[in-house]
Amino acid sequence: MNTKVNVDTEVQDQELIQKFLKDTTLFLGPDPEIMRDHSIMPRTEKEEECMDKYTDLNQISSIRDRLQSACEEGFEMVEQMGAAPGAKWGDIITGIYSASGDLTIGSAGGVLIFSALVHHPIKFIIKNWIEEKTVGVQEGDGFIHNDSRYGNVHNTDQSMILPVFHEGKLICWVASTVHEGENGAIEPGGMPSMAETSFDEGLKMSPFKVVEGYEIKRDILTFLQNSVREPKLQYEDMKVKLFACMRLEKRIKEVFATDGPDALTACLRYTNESVVTEVRRRISEWPDMTVRTQTIMDSTLRENALLKINLAVTKKGDRLIFDFSGTSPELTNRAINTQLPGMKGMVGQAFMNHIWPDLPRGQAGLSPVEFVTQEGTLVDCSYSAPNSQSLMSIFHSFTVAQHATAKFLYSCPDKYTRVLAPWHNMINTFIWGGVNQHGETLGNLCADLNGMGGGARMDRDGEHALSPIFATMADIGEQEMNEEEVPFLQLVSKKMTTNTQAAGKYRGGMGYTMIASTKDSDQWGFMTTTQGSKAPTIQGLFGGYAGGSYPMCRVSGIDVYDILLKNPEQFKHSIPEIMNEQPFENAIYHTQHMGLGFDISKRGELYMISQGSGGGYGDPLERDPTYIIMDIEEGLITADYAKKLYKVEFNEETLALDLEATEKLRADYRDQRKKQGVPYAEFVKKHVKDTPPADIPFYGSWNGDVDHVYAGSVDDKRDANNPGPIYVTHPKDVRIAELEAELDAVRQQAGIPSTDTRK
Amino acid sequence: MKRISVDIGGTFTDCFVVWNGKYIETKALTTHHNLALGFNEAVEKAYNELDISMEEILAGVDSVRYATTLGTNALIEHNGPRIGMLVTAGYEAMVPLSRARGYGEGLDELGKQNLPDAQRPVPLVLPHMIEGVRERLGFEGELVMPLDEDDVRHKIRTLVDKGAQVIVVCLVNSVVNPAHEKQVERILLEEYPTHLLGSIPVILSHRVAGRKGEYVRATSAIVDGYLHSTMYHAMSQLEQNLRSHSYSKPMLVIHNSGGMAQLNSTDALQTIHSGPVSGISAAEHLAKEADLGSVIATDMGGTSYDIGIVVEGGIKHYDFNPVIDRWLVSVPMVHLVTLGAGGGSIASFDRMYNAVAVGPKSAGSDPGPACYDRGGMNPTVTDADLVLGYLDADNYAGGSIPLNPKRSLFAIEETLCDDLDVEAVEAALLVKEKVDSNMANGVNTELRVRGYDPEDFTMLAYGGNGPLHCCGIASNLNIDKILATPMSSVFSAVGAGNMHQMHIHESSLFMVLYDSTSRKVFDNYQRFNDIVAELSLRGKNDLLRQGSNADDIKHSLELDMRYGNQLVQTTVVVPKHSLESVMDVMNILDQFSTDYGKRFGEGSQAPEAGIRINTIRVASYVEHDTVKFTHIKPVPQAERIAPPAPSGTRSCYFIDSGAKAVETPVWNKADIPAGTEIVGPGIVASEVTTYLIEPGWKYVSAEQGAVWFLRAEAKN
Repeated sequence: MNTKVNVDTEVQDQELIQKFLKDTTLFLGPDPEIMRDHSIMPRTEKEEECMDKYTDLNQISSIRDRLQSACEEGFEMVEQMGAAPGAKWGDIITGIYSASGDLTIGSAGGVLIFSALVHHPIKFIIKNWIEEKTVGVQEGDGFIHNDSRYGNVHNTDQSMILPVFHEGKLICWVASTVHEGENGAIEPGGMPSMAETSFDEGLKMSPFKVVEGYEIKRDILTFLQNSVREPKLQYEDMKVKLFACMRLEKRIKEVFATDGPDALTACLRYTNESVVTEVRRRISEWPDMTVRTQTIMDSTLRENALLKINLAVTKKGDRLIFDFSGTSPELTNRAINTQLPGMKGMVGQAFMNHIWPDLPRGQAGLSPVEFVTQEGTLVDCSYSAPNSQSLMSIFHSFTVAQHATAKFLYSCPDKYTRVLAPWHNMINTFIWGGVNQHGETLGNLCADLNGMGGGARMDRDGEHALSPIFATMADIGEQEMNEEEVPFLQLVSKKMTTNTQAAGKYRGGMGYTMIASTKDSDQWGFMTTTQGSKAPTIQGLFGGYAGGSYPMCRVSGIDVYDILLKNPEQFKHSIPEIMNEQPFENAIYHTQHMGLGFDISKRGELYMISQGSGGGYGDPLERDPTYIIMDIEEGLITADYAKKLYKVEFNEETLALDLEATEKLRADYRDQRKKQGVPYAEFVKKHVKDTPPADIPFYGSWNGDVDHVYAGSVDDKRDANNPGPIYVTHPKDVRIAELEAELDAVRQQAGIPSTDTRK
Repeated sequence: MKRISVDIGGTFTDCFVVWNGKYIETKALTTHHNLALGFNEAVEKAYNELDISMEEILAGVDSVRYATTLGTNALIEHNGPRIGMLVTAGYEAMVPLSRARGYGEGLDELGKQNLPDAQRPVPLVLPHMIEGVRERLGFEGELVMPLDEDDVRHKIRTLVDKGAQVIVVCLVNSVVNPAHEKQVERILLEEYPTHLLGSIPVILSHRVAGRKGEYVRATSAIVDGYLHSTMYHAMSQLEQNLRSHSYSKPMLVIHNSGGMAQLNSTDALQTIHSGPVSGISAAEHLAKEADLGSVIATDMGGTSYDIGIVVEGGIKHYDFNPVIDRWLVSVPMVHLVTLGAGGGSIASFDRMYNAVAVGPKSAGSDPGPACYDRGGMNPTVTDADLVLGYLDADNYAGGSIPLNPKRSLFAIEETLCDDLDVEAVEAALLVKEKVDSNMANGVNTELRVRGYDPEDFTMLAYGGNGPLHCCGIASNLNIDKILATPMSSVFSAVGAGNMHQMHIHESSLFMVLYDSTSRKVFDNYQRFNDIVAELSLRGKNDLLRQGSNADDIKHSLELDMRYGNQLVQTTVVVPKHSLESVMDVMNILDQFSTDYGKRFGEGSQAPEAGIRINTIRVASYVEHDTVKFTHIKPVPQAERIAPPAPSGTRSCYFIDSGAKAVETPVWNKADIPAGTEIVGPGIVASEVTTYLIEPGWKYVSAEQGAVWFLRAEAKN
């Protein structure tokens, strides 16, 4: 029997089938081969040849500096010319990608995760459009993209991608990304929490050609403008991104002229490989061990629920594995799921800004890190699941990564920055939309999302409202500028929210209060998309406390602008005073979780939220009492809070410390702690339950069994590797059912038959 | 023309005296305890040279002008008064939070990226010294909540009880309606009248900065309040000193806007960086006088590399929100960028890329480069320059700092050679290549984000290390012409001597020239004209108050414009100062389009999104006589003379000749007459700097101490 002939025939058959399938592809949907791979591409023959040709690493370094400078130039152009609030306040980036699509150099400013995910759509273009006769990739072409299913955080971020050619040969790619906000979704602002399917999420742009000969095609532009609420913004920022990319292309061509395209190719490859080598070396310095941690999401942004993000980080040799097994399954009709690249990108952001901030900003930094996830979970959702609020799950992923790695860093003698407790991780801000005072239709958000409180450090307090977890040098803006463009005022804009401090030897950086109210429009509304109104979204570190939890508060049935003119003394500049004292007659006072769906506001109604605190570091009993007094003086905490949490004694009028009494209080409290202590086995016996509580919708693994996950009910336990769909009932239907039940009960009591014909 | 201009720096007080066509450059050590002493010493050298008395010289000059870094130093030393602050209630944390990004303002890139290390600077106003007052105005200045006077009185007393020595007031939207800020001032003056010893100075934000942006306006007012008394006392001391020596005219203070004014018309904030800005002003004047076209002014010292842009045609480059020390403020300041690269920049091995890195850390002047022999162990740019033979170890800085080449060699070998697997000379060449390239990248970015190409510029090089590295930097930029400036040792003082009296007034507004929603073009000409007239009048009154002739006063009109809702505001200089027709509006739109296209690329304009004016600015000025730069241009090739015999030779190493030593002739600058051409390689040494003529470049001396570096292959 001739085995070789048979094998050859089988191979031939397979090839034929593959060709047939390729030729008959119905839809070039998201490609798992591209989407699941975050590592840099293998070295190509061309790259090998260029690296052989250019071995002077100082020349390579010089080219790299020029490319970095070009990225900064592109960044500044986008920041200056961009029309989206996100562009103005730093939610942008520009980057240069290798011919194979790997992000090699990103601008120093901006949101790295944007660029770090654009390698996916570029690889899609390379795989599908270069050889496609109806598309093709030519010099002067530009591709637009926003769909997270092809590689993005969420669909509100739009990218422009340009190939760079030299004498007809593709050498590299450049791209620019902006958090645009409005994208035509079911709610304004681009991040709808109401989305129940991907079709509620607005524009879903797989990578497609929108620029030819360096000009935006007017027919496609018109289609895109017609699909969103802000046609002006869509136009302006497409142009901005295109010109920033063209400027990058120009600078790259200058490198071609001085050093040659092969030198550039070598530079890009050397850069990525050098970073991978360095990251592996740094990983090797960490101790071999496993750290387990978790966070709990307390809402779907539509209803209260507890959803677990579970992580075990294992380091062995130069391998570092992030294992998210045991994480909550995806919710089939809720928007808080994320595509796998979004989660990975956010972990990458943790490495770039919080672990090794000296690393160059590119894709290679994360390349050596391995991930374990189960498809169909919150951090690795299916392509059909909505993910417009993916920030929820990716921010929690960031936090667990930050929390776990802090323990490795603490044990590692070579640190590249300070060990710190988790940063606040939620975008506590107002998303808004409607018609402004100038008659323009807008949909976007306040830059306050950039004011997340910093985590406490190993040797100092966290900084208040310092930066979002996903960017550096981001800006919370100026209200005087905002008020020119939007029809609402922030009556309280930047006032520290008292007693929201995460306590610790070093306390977390705190957040501030925002009270907004529509003034000059009768077509305006707000939404908020944040978790953490019941369970804190972050933990403390080494005995430090978690940040507080903050509800969303509203006052309706008033026109505060009338009150401010006629009875200004009634208005208070703090949420607790307004909500506790209820100073306005006939007003309705509401509190709810921070997932406020888009709410049409009437003039003068109040919407009130607070930014959150970063985690505390170390035991609060070890906090220097003088720092506590300073916090009281600055209005960050009250005397009650200080005494309760820090066990400190002082004169409340003069704030004079009694150090002796403080020592005694603390010693007594330590004794009390010891007395409360029980052996571990006893603790487990008393506190650890076999199943989640029956009265709380819980999602995720329980008691370390990561092979199974609960799906919202103690009776619904599923295979973690194949959890299947989970549909959550629309809150209005839940409410209707509750009311119907009440009505039924009343009817039954009154002896009136039910009118529900379905029964 | 008879004039004295002074640049009081951290180390030296530079003085430039013009006396009947004679130009005298002198220097003295800055005397921080009493600035007048350093000034007197510097002037003494001048009047000795002129052989007249101090009284005679001070009685004879038309003006005495000061540029000073005093304010910058006071900020860094943090020795200002205890400030109390009143803000709109609900905005109490506005200043402490510093727009979030405040932690990184004034830091290098790593400082900005490193979030776990982030720390906001020590505040100028302590958080518990900030109180909110109950009031609110809307974006058009409309009343939203009336000012609660009782609340204001209570808050003022609270601050004074806590020890406030100055009260700064910044209320939201006060630039469009200052009524509430003025009301606070009135209350404060009622409570603490100026005739009483316990009076409290008050600073209103709308008087310090006229633009929207409550945070940057607040920091501007704070910096102003913080520096006010320090500056006032120091400057008064100077003025008193002048008075006691027969000077009877007003003392003029240089502003960072590129103009100057009398002391009583100067905010402390306007004096910050006035020294470097004077340098740029001198560059501008030099460019005009010598017909240099556009110039990039570069000042490379021991720790920093300052870059300024002067573009042909009079377009001024301002920073409207410059960072002063660590504070983002709102003041129209001549654009100036400082890179952390100088002779003291430390070289290191970049483990990630197996290459040399230079900076951003600097050895400063203490301990300084390894060769200073003051304990510095890190190799610096100066060490590399010494190893490469560019510097004379015995005559560095006029012989005031003896250099130890062995220390340089040791530091380079220890830090770089093993890792790079190269010899010390090769490592030093890599350091030079890297620092030149870093500075070139900085210049590149500066020019290119504004739409300019370096090749179209002449580079001006001054500062102690400028003429040493300028050829290397220019080579990276494809620049063919470098002018090492005349009177370079007191160049900023020369700039101060050329400035015009000027006041800038601006109005922050929302003026739509094209409304894309209604598709209407602006037609409210009266509104525009009234604003321009009012701003011009304010400028005119400022100058009249200082004794200027009404006929001498001129105005320049600038509009900050933008498309749609962009952040960028492009400044358009408008020749016609009133609108009378649609054509006038169209002319403005055309000019905006042209300027914008130049910067961001033709076709990038987006008029379809709407066009508006955000700021109208009027600069009112009186022109004065200026210093003449004569025969600065290089003489034609045929007229150039050969250099005298060199005073010696040194073994030098250059990038293109690798590790092979090149015997390089060395001259003393004093021996080289104007019109001399030296083809590189070569070294010309002076007391204040070293002129390194790299291979491929030639040195052409001109009058007044100016030196040209021209590419050998260029046509000049």
